[in-house]
Amino acid sequence: MTARTIHFTLNGAPVTADIKPHHNLVELLQTHFGLTGARESCGQGLCGCCTVLVDGRAVSGCLFLAVRIDGTEVVTIEGLDAGGKLNPMQEAFVETGAFQCGYCTPGFILMANQLLDAHPDPDDDQIRHYLSGNLCRCAAYPQIIDAVKLAAKKRKTIAA
Amino acid sequence: MIPFELAEPKSLTEAIKLLAPDDAMVRPIAGGTALMLMMKAGVFHPTRLVSLGKIEKKYSGIAAGKDGLRIGAMTTLSALEQSLDMKKLAPVITRTLRTLSNVRVRNVATVGGALAHADPHMDLPPVLIALGASMSIAGPSGERELAVEDLFTGYYETVLQKNELIAEVRVPSQDGTRAAYMKVTTGSADDWPALGVAVALQSDGNAVKSARVVVSAATSKAMRLPGAEAALAGQRIDDKILARAGEAAANEADFIADVRGSVSYKRELLRVYIGRAVRAALESGAH
Ligand SMILES: Cc1cc2nc3c(=O)[nH]c(=O)nc-3n(C[C@H](O)[C@H](O)[C@H](O)COP(=O)(O)OP(=O)(O)OC[C@H]3O[C@@H](n4cnc5c(N)ncnc54)[C@H](O)[C@@H]3O)c2cc1C
Ligand code: FES
Ligand code: FES
Repeated sequence: MTARTIHFTLNGAPVTADIKPHHNLVELLQTHFGLTGARESCGQGLCGCCTVLVDGRAVSGCLFLAVRIDGTEVVTIEGLDAGGKLNPMQEAFVETGAFQCGYCTPGFILMANQLLDAHPDPDDDQIRHYLSGNLCRCAAYPQIIDAVKLAAKKRKTIAA
Repeated sequence: MIPFELAEPKSLTEAIKLLAPDDAMVRPIAGGTALMLMMKAGVFHPTRLVSLGKIEKKYSGIAAGKDGLRIGAMTTLSALEQSLDMKKLAPVITRTLRTLSNVRVRNVATVGGALAHADPHMDLPPVLIALGASMSIAGPSGERELAVEDLFTGYYETVLQKNELIAEVRVPSQDGTRAAYMKVTTGSADDWPALGVAVALQSDGNAVKSARVVVSAATSKAMRLPGAEAALAGQRIDDKILARAGEAAANEADFIADVRGSVSYKRELLRVYIGRAVRAALESGAH
């Protein structure tokens, strides 16, 4: 089927891509832009490894038609350390050791950022609610929850 | 996924014209969360998808009026979950959405898709039926009104023609309604349920004037249970009444077996959960 040209903002920079209607967002990021932070694992919306922010909201890239990002702002894990400095959530994951293999980490970090945007001071319930759709096969869950709380503190210090 | 053609009309009317009354391989796509899964699994091979993503903005908003809420079919489940109007009118919907899938899916999935998909395991249909919600259905010759309880005809089947679209969902005022939805997941907590039960009661304290009781997941489609409703209406709720309502429900529901439970297991679940759902509704306080 015929390719079409889409324009969007990728990690802050305006970009263009020629894509086919049946490609999903993960395929687009990997094949056109060499970004592999969002990766397809379950492919069914369940695990969160393919998380991408579209206009600030987390979506499963594996279930998202790439053409739909025409005109939107897309942020992937690769866009978080703008200017060479890790984002507070990334720092917090490193400091608390909130991963083992790291396969799930980009998804957790992006989702946790959306959580803190909505609830700057989340309780355990809110953390679990937002992260219930992210799976970590290494089961780093306790440290992940610690990381989210630490990042919330870091963000407050930065804002103060 | 195999290639297909994608149309992105700018209006609902244009979308309807791009659909084909006799071709099952031409379909509307809203959030795409259900369709993408079906395409990836190879159970659906469209030739053309008609995206509703660019139709008029009014179909993706929630408007409060005197007679209740009007929810555009393209409203995302997240927007519905976060709507204060929705929480005020029917907190049972807000509660239900919290355990419907995950944040990423809710950010993308739409109310129209959550109804039209017609998977009997889904959470919103039974709740909307219990609350007496209806839809505006748009087709080539205009719009018609349809109660959500009349939408489903069977497993993944609805009365919608192939060139009809759900345009809007209407949830009427719920003055004094007490409602609850319970789902029983027999695998992990976030698995598809073996049973869903939604109840909406008009009651004065413990005395139920009228009840709407809906079963889902254990049956091939979400449906009301008139026998259970009759067993509750006009009664002061106690264990005996709840047992009678549970018995009526167990006798009238048309169960189907699946990997989440056999027919006899689901029948027992329903017998018990009718009472739990009624009690939860009574404890929830009036809307
Ligand atoms: C990981 C995961 C977990 C899930 N967990 C749950 C859960 O716990 N509970 C639950 O209830 N659901 C669950 N779901 C299902 C989810 O609710 C549906 O996928 C979603 O509601 C479908 O909406 P959509 O906009 O993405 O529809 P689409 O995939 O775009 O479409 C679904 C169907 O509806 C049709 N359609 C869409 N919009 C319209 C319209 N306006 N008029 C007519 N036809 C239309 C399409 O043609 C298609 O047949 C889950 C889904 C995923 C991926
Ligand atoms: S790969 Fe998309 S949610 Fe698992
Ligand atoms: S750190 Fe290995 S999957 Fe989460």
